[in-house]
Amino acid sequence: MSNQKKRNFQIEAFKHRVVVDPKYADKTWKVLEHAIHEIYNHNASGLSFEELYRNAYNMVLHKFGEKLYSGLVSTMTSHLKEISKSIEAAQGESFLEELNRKWNDHNKALQMIRDILMYMDRTYIPSNHKTPVHELGLNLWRDNIIHSSKIQSRLLNTLLELVHRERTGEVIDRGLMRNIIKMLMDLGSAVYQEDFEKHFLEVSAEFYKVESQKFIECCDCGEYLKKAEKRLNEEIERVTHYLDAKSEIKITSVVEKEMIANHMPRLVHMENSGLVNMLLDDKYEDLGRMYNLFRRVPNGLLTIREVMTSHLRETGKQLVTDPERLKDPVEFVQRLLDEKDKYDSIINKAFSNDKTFQNALTNSFEYFINLNARSPEFISLFVDDKLRKGLKGVSEEDVEIILDKVMMLFRYLQEKDVFEKYYKQHLAKRLLSGKTVSDDAERSLIVKLKTECGYQFTSKLEGMFTDMKTSQDTMQGFYASHPELGEGPTLVVQVLTTGSWPTQPSSTCNLPSEMSALCEKFRSYYLGTHTGRRLSWQTNMGNADMKATFGKGQKHELNVSTYQMCVLMLFNNAERLSYKEIEQATEIPAPELKRCLQSMACVKGKNVLRKEPMSKDIGEEDAFFVNDKFSSKFYKVKIGTVVAQKESEPEKQETRQRVEEDRKPQIEAALVRIMKSRRVLDHNNLISEVTKQLQQRFLPNPTEIKKRIESLIERDFLERDNVDRKLYRYLA
Amino acid sequence: MIVAAPAAKDRVKFNVGGRIFETTSTTLANAGRDSFFGPLFDENWDLKDSSQSVGGGEFFIDRNPDCFAVVLDLLRTGDLNIPPNIPERLLYREASFYGVLDHVRSAKWGPFDGNRLRYSKSISGTAPGDGTAIRAAPDGGCAVAHGSIVHVYDWMLSEEHPPLTLDHQRVNDVIWVDPENLAVSACERLGRGDGGLGLFNKTSGRLRFKFQVTHDNQVKSFTAGALATAQNPNHRIFSSCKGRSNEYGIGVWDQFTGKQVDFFYESPGWSLGDADRLQWLEERNCLLVATLFPRKDNCYISLLDFRTKDMVWSWSDVGAPMTVDERRVRDGIAMEGNNAICVVNEYEDLGFMDLRMNGGAIRWSSRSRLIMKGRMPDDEPCYPKLALHDGGQLFSSMNDCISVFCGPDMVMTSRLRRGYGGSICDFSIGGDRLFALHSEENVFDVWECPPPPVI
Repeated sequence: MSNQKKRNFQIEAFKHRVVVDPKYADKTWKVLEHAIHEIYNHNASGLSFEELYRNAYNMVLHKFGEKLYSGLVSTMTSHLKEISKSIEAAQGESFLEELNRKWNDHNKALQMIRDILMYMDRTYIPSNHKTPVHELGLNLWRDNIIHSSKIQSRLLNTLLELVHRERTGEVIDRGLMRNIIKMLMDLGSAVYQEDFEKHFLEVSAEFYKVESQKFIECCDCGEYLKKAEKRLNEEIERVTHYLDAKSEIKITSVVEKEMIANHMPRLVHMENSGLVNMLLDDKYEDLGRMYNLFRRVPNGLLTIREVMTSHLRETGKQLVTDPERLKDPVEFVQRLLDEKDKYDSIINKAFSNDKTFQNALTNSFEYFINLNARSPEFISLFVDDKLRKGLKGVSEEDVEIILDKVMMLFRYLQEKDVFEKYYKQHLAKRLLSGKTVSDDAERSLIVKLKTECGYQFTSKLEGMFTDMKTSQDTMQGFYASHPELGEGPTLVVQVLTTGSWPTQPSSTCNLPSEMSALCEKFRSYYLGTHTGRRLSWQTNMGNADMKATFGKGQKHELNVSTYQMCVLMLFNNAERLSYKEIEQATEIPAPELKRCLQSMACVKGKNVLRKEPMSKDIGEEDAFFVNDKFSSKFYKVKIGTVVAQKESEPEKQETRQRVEEDRKPQIEAALVRIMKSRRVLDHNNLISEVTKQLQQRFLPNPTEIKKRIESLIERDFLERDNVDRKLYRYLA
Repeated sequence: MIVAAPAAKDRVKFNVGGRIFETTSTTLANAGRDSFFGPLFDENWDLKDSSQSVGGGEFFIDRNPDCFAVVLDLLRTGDLNIPPNIPERLLYREASFYGVLDHVRSAKWGPFDGNRLRYSKSISGTAPGDGTAIRAAPDGGCAVAHGSIVHVYDWMLSEEHPPLTLDHQRVNDVIWVDPENLAVSACERLGRGDGGLGLFNKTSGRLRFKFQVTHDNQVKSFTAGALATAQNPNHRIFSSCKGRSNEYGIGVWDQFTGKQVDFFYESPGWSLGDADRLQWLEERNCLLVATLFPRKDNCYISLLDFRTKDMVWSWSDVGAPMTVDERRVRDGIAMEGNNAICVVNEYEDLGFMDLRMNGGAIRWSSRSRLIMKGRMPDDEPCYPKLALHDGGQLFSSMNDCISVFCGPDMVMTSRLRRGYGGSICDFSIGGDRLFALHSEENVFDVWECPPPPVI
């Protein structure tokens, strides 16, 4: 054909001329239409590509582009209508397969048609705002096949049915699924979303709503979470196998909502298996699963955190307020530490070290530790216990670990100054009795306190260590200058700087003459080397080692306190001494004396004295003898004083009072500091600033602050504003 | 495609209009799948050894053999060599048949470099009167506005596209929205709703739609001035607008839908509606608007941020001392990479302002004016214009010359001049070409870079 057209276009290019053969367009189109039929009928091998391409080219060139295009649309449409019928006719399972097969055929045909019409695609279509051939083919497929009334709902139902079957455990042809879904996506994301995804999500929501209801009725919390996790993973896997990747977030959010978000409170509070039980039983795996699942839904972690916090506060409150527990401070603190360890490891293993959970833990501890006013004392006692004996044979690293844990508790304390008070007392006792196990551990703790609270906090504690060292040197000097003292009792004096050490009511006693002579020598030696100092004896804090021989010749070395020594020495010269006589000779304060006699006469195994009448308590009328029948399997016998390790009620009051007393200057100093920089400040702001400045050490009581302000006003540091009485002014 | 086949099978024999050509499928693969040669290797078609190839496996093509030889050579070497006996037009037609027109175009001239430009050709037009504007198209074609007509040339520079007109109103500016469509701004015709701003299809020459300005739900007629487009974000088109009442300012529309999306009203004492030049600054996400002497007696340059409806940077010569007056700014262009705005005065002195600080002064570069003493235009001076290529090279036109400036200090490195047609009233860079429109004769020059050297 088209022989007559050989050189036509050379002339045509310059002038618009009428096409010679009026039937030219129809003829050419017939050829192309035939070719399209052949392509759809898998009969393309007889076609000449070159001729078809040239024909289509000529049609466009001769301004028949519109005819070509509309012809293409109608031809393709009629083919698709036939295809649609054959797909509709497919029965049951073969429906999807037929659809898939026809889709592949159509794609192949579309490619070939586009090849023929390439010139039209490139020139006619852009300038006339038509749909390109490939896109046109997809659109026609969508309108004639996917949106045909007999296919649309059947396709959707088949797909959803297959998904449902897979969910209930059947094996389906995932490859076919993938191809069909891919077809929907190729037709445009709108087709995929409208014709499949939307319904898929609705059906899934319904499915999981029912299933989660079923599960929650019959499973415990751990099991339920396992099932939810499994379902979630299945859906994610489904997306990777045959759905659009963008669906993942949508379907997972459906599962999350139906299976987790909707049942959150019920799961968390499930009886015998809920969150609290998991926490109690350290179920890391279940807790981790809960964390990972709840993290996916809004307020999920908040829910976990709230339940954990309230449980923690509840148990913590019981822990610190249970009177039974308060009997043993070491046990008390150990329990706190155990509790902390437990939750640390839960947060670490199950909650992926989530910062918000760590904060919740800290807040809870801060909350309940301070519910008990004795916590600072107990923590100090715990340290005391550890440093006295608890750390024997423990490696350095382990010591550090224990101390670090103690520091952590310390951080939770509001009244750090109370802790300091107790710590000082306990440290003093440790140092003076030489009971401390490890100097390194002591110093390490002080360094920790220093980094936590600053130099001021520990300067006195460090002073105590210095005193101990200096005293050693002093004693060496003393004995070097008095060589004649080799014989007789040995005196060891610790010179303590006033102020550095916890002040003790100094209750002197009459020392035995041997001792008092020695003491006088030391006094004159010390004052001779240091001018301008005053020494006073703290006999209540000393101790002594004595050699004693009992009635049957048993020899023992007795380790006693200074008071006890004074009493025992009396028996060098007497068989029997009444309470009154002892009191008179020693002048030891009555409560101390009673305690000291009780420890020597009433404790089994330590009863170096005998008392008449025999009884547990010391009466003013009692008489005492050396217990000649005293026996012990040890050569060295340590006779402890009956001292309450914990403070007795009046002592506690006293410590409390001292703490309060110490706080006064600190509050005043803070007030002056603030007012000096602000010049003018109203009452509420002043209170809040002072509280802020001091909370490092303790939580000041507002009424106390108010008292301090009054006192400062009296002393002309501050004045009230004449107009606004709530305003304070600083007076320079 | 049968590319991996053994050497003998790789061979392909063509009979083109009676002449035999032999080549390899590897060579033909260079044409790409979207060409006439693509389907030859597609298994659907099964063309290589079926009934298509008769008589020793020849593949017949009913086309001009001379042109096929050129096309085949282009596919083999990437070089375009047109023998003198073949008209370019014929070759283009054949290349278009094979679907390799893009190959021809990219082989015809090289990548743009202001210092390698060679004069290629001049095209004369028929429209009377002075040229207004010339705009290079992304594909190497151009549009020339003369009075009320816009002539559109494709990259082959034979005017094949129908001329455009917007109600036969005087055209103020033209801009290419994409290679297929261009927007034309024109003066309004009182009370008729004529003029304004329209979007045209290049090939058909049809007006696709008009961009309209609506105030208080009422469509207003307006005169559209300078134009700018932004591809990022959202395909916007900007125009300076002057209306009857208070529609002075910058209008913003969507390029595809033509819907008005924003309007930046002119603030008192600051001229936006009369702007001579708009430029979209992609990095800063704002629009440069320059209204220059002598359209107004003073010069205003500002950067508008449409998100906050703010003028984020501004400069004006209002209140400047008289000594500066003689250096009145005639054009300005922002160079985002250098954080600077470059301006030019009527003596072609270049000046720079820092974009990062508001209220700075112009730093004039002390360029010798001796070169300008050559040939001054007798009547009707053409004002200097500026253009930028890829942020690096700066171009400035003055009289019949275009100067090229390079480097961080913008040193003059080349001068382009062709002594015919009088002063250059406008020029434009695009599609790796430079177009210069002369004011006296209706003629424009095309400058392009030669293809890279053979070795």
